[in-house]
Amino acid sequence: MSRQRVLATLAAIAVAIAALAGPAGAAPKKFKATRAFVVDKETGALRLPTPAEVDAVVTTLTSLGQQPAETLTSTTTATGAVGMDLGGGFAGVLLARPSEDGTWETRCVFTVEEGADFLGLVEDVQ
Amino acid sequence: MPSRRRSPIGLVALALASLFVPAAATAGPAQFVIVNINAPGIGFNDPTPAAPVGGNTGTTLGEQRLIAFTHAASIWSARLDSAVPIRIRAQFTSLAAGVLGSAGPIQVFRDFPNAPLTGTWYHVALANKLAGEDLSPLADDINANFSTNFNFYLGLDGNHGALNDLVTVLLHEFAHGLGFSQTASLATGALLGGFPDHYNTKLLDTALGLHWPQLTDAQRVESATRFGRVVFDGIGVTAAVPAVLSLGSPTVEVNSPAAIAGGYQFGTAAFGPRIGNPSVTANIVAAADAADVAGPSTTDGCSALTNAAAIAGQIALVERGTCGFAVKARNASQAGAAAVIIYNNVANAGAAPPGMADDGVNGAFVTAPTVSLRRADALAIVGLLAGGVNADIGVDLSLRAGADALNRARVYAPFPVVGGSSISHYDTVASRNLLMEPAINPDLTHNVKAPFDLTWELLHDVGWTFPDADGDTFPDDEDCNPASNVQPTIVLNGRNTGVPNRGLGAGCTMTDTLLAAKAAASNHGGFVSAVAHITNEWKTAGLITAQQRAAIQVTAAKWQ
Repeated sequence: MSRQRVLATLAAIAVAIAALAGPAGAAPKKFKATRAFVVDKETGALRLPTPAEVDAVVTTLTSLGQQPAETLTSTTTATGAVGMDLGGGFAGVLLARPSEDGTWETRCVFTVEEGADFLGLVEDVQ
Repeated sequence: MPSRRRSPIGLVALALASLFVPAAATAGPAQFVIVNINAPGIGFNDPTPAAPVGGNTGTTLGEQRLIAFTHAASIWSARLDSAVPIRIRAQFTSLAAGVLGSAGPIQVFRDFPNAPLTGTWYHVALANKLAGEDLSPLADDINANFSTNFNFYLGLDGNHGALNDLVTVLLHEFAHGLGFSQTASLATGALLGGFPDHYNTKLLDTALGLHWPQLTDAQRVESATRFGRVVFDGIGVTAAVPAVLSLGSPTVEVNSPAAIAGGYQFGTAAFGPRIGNPSVTANIVAAADAADVAGPSTTDGCSALTNAAAIAGQIALVERGTCGFAVKARNASQAGAAAVIIYNNVANAGAAPPGMADDGVNGAFVTAPTVSLRRADALAIVGLLAGGVNADIGVDLSLRAGADALNRARVYAPFPVVGGSSISHYDTVASRNLLMEPAINPDLTHNVKAPFDLTWELLHDVGWTFPDADGDTFPDDEDCNPASNVQPTIVLNGRNTGVPNRGLGAGCTMTDTLLAAKAAASNHGGFVSAVAHITNEWKTAGLITAQQRAAIQVTAAKWQ
């Protein structure tokens, strides 16, 4: 990868991190798990995700899903074209959860809410 | 995939012949560049030995991942045309639990040179293709991250068994990066930066009769949950729908009592008879079974039903949970149910009705069409069962499964919106299953266009074109000769017959046909005889005059 592309990558990561932080003063939503979708590495059994694992899922979905437009920057080229860096977001995120019969159910989502719903994460209001 | 090219010899009777006017030659198959950003020893560079599988000849885990990526990219490359390489910044890395991977555009552009629509965002790879230049030469185009924690099938042959097929997943996610997604906020309805995009300009809310850019923000939020009433109305997709989607759109309708009568949102099953085979009109009866080790409640249907007499010939209502969908449907079938409804349990209370996979064992014993319902809808039914609830589970034969009455493909607009994946996918009621439904269904192939799929058609509608080396408007991968002779008149061995060189309707010209006959003939006599046969057919079909036939035959006779 060229140095310029490395810099562009780092810039995109920086924008994503800024987006993750959310608007100044806004506390990020906390979620808790209601269904088991983690395969335990020790036992091979399904279990509920730990709070840290839930936070990791939410962080991933937040960084990859739709971003608030106000956190994104646009630039105008010499030809008049306007570009907007999507900050690492606006991706389709493919999730998987185990079905009752041992198969895996997949779902491609674009927002934190869609992903949380699919994985059985509910807002932790406590 | 077997070659679909046809012999030019077999095309002589086509009445579609026309004077061949080649279009401008296209740029050719898009070059995909996989930019491996994994560190040594990780992801694509994982040195763990791996046995070749399903045509994937890599000998390490990392090699096999990269080969699968390259294979998926090559499938798109063969069907998309661009002079600008498409750079996919890719890695396999440890992602959060439950997250298999993601892909999306890194940038969007509007108002670039040659933009088909002004004031409209385009994903960067598409914008580059349309502009004919790299609008952002310092950045990559698509960002792709996939999980090292998930056991994908890495073969290239689609024989994935119970595993998730990585190539199919990549085809799906790359399509999002290439332009199969929209950018308006589903939470607020706001357009990105106040501008529509190439995708949502073709989203039509059929309840309002308006396209998404014409809606207010509030209307867009509402539209995103208007199940069955949001369609993609691009002409390519609409034209291809009859070749892809089967007639008979499944429906679940409560007939009585009036308080809950109407159509319901539902999910479908990958086992049992198709909905409508047969259509069922019957009363809904709650299934009862023992609370035992197979399932702790009397509503879960995990054991043999204890009210078989009441269930027989009726629609069994079973609660989700504990055991698999196919187990429940099998138990209801054995009790004589005419159809089965499985509704979401408390753990899935807010979710949309699920698509129901087979477990590979019990599905074969399911004899009743099976659907899933939202929990709220099912509880409304349960509350009125004592007075009798009558319903239809069948098909509307006037509609194709996944399209509206005008053959416009439905996009996924579930209620509630958090049921998942709204708007940037096709509807889950589509039959056959489509690559760009929100779930990766196990019966998908690696074909991305009609008659197998509608993904390529949508990308074409938003601005992508197909590789067409000879400019005859036939995509190279279905052109009977992708390098047609396109001279205005038929010229054989340097001798101009003066006869117009017509197209024969499948990407071949008359000259192609004659040159193929020359190549196939074992001697001069055989060639002359073949030309006589071909030109006689052309004359009979009215494609040439007797004088033109003679000119071609005389010229062919001189070619020794």
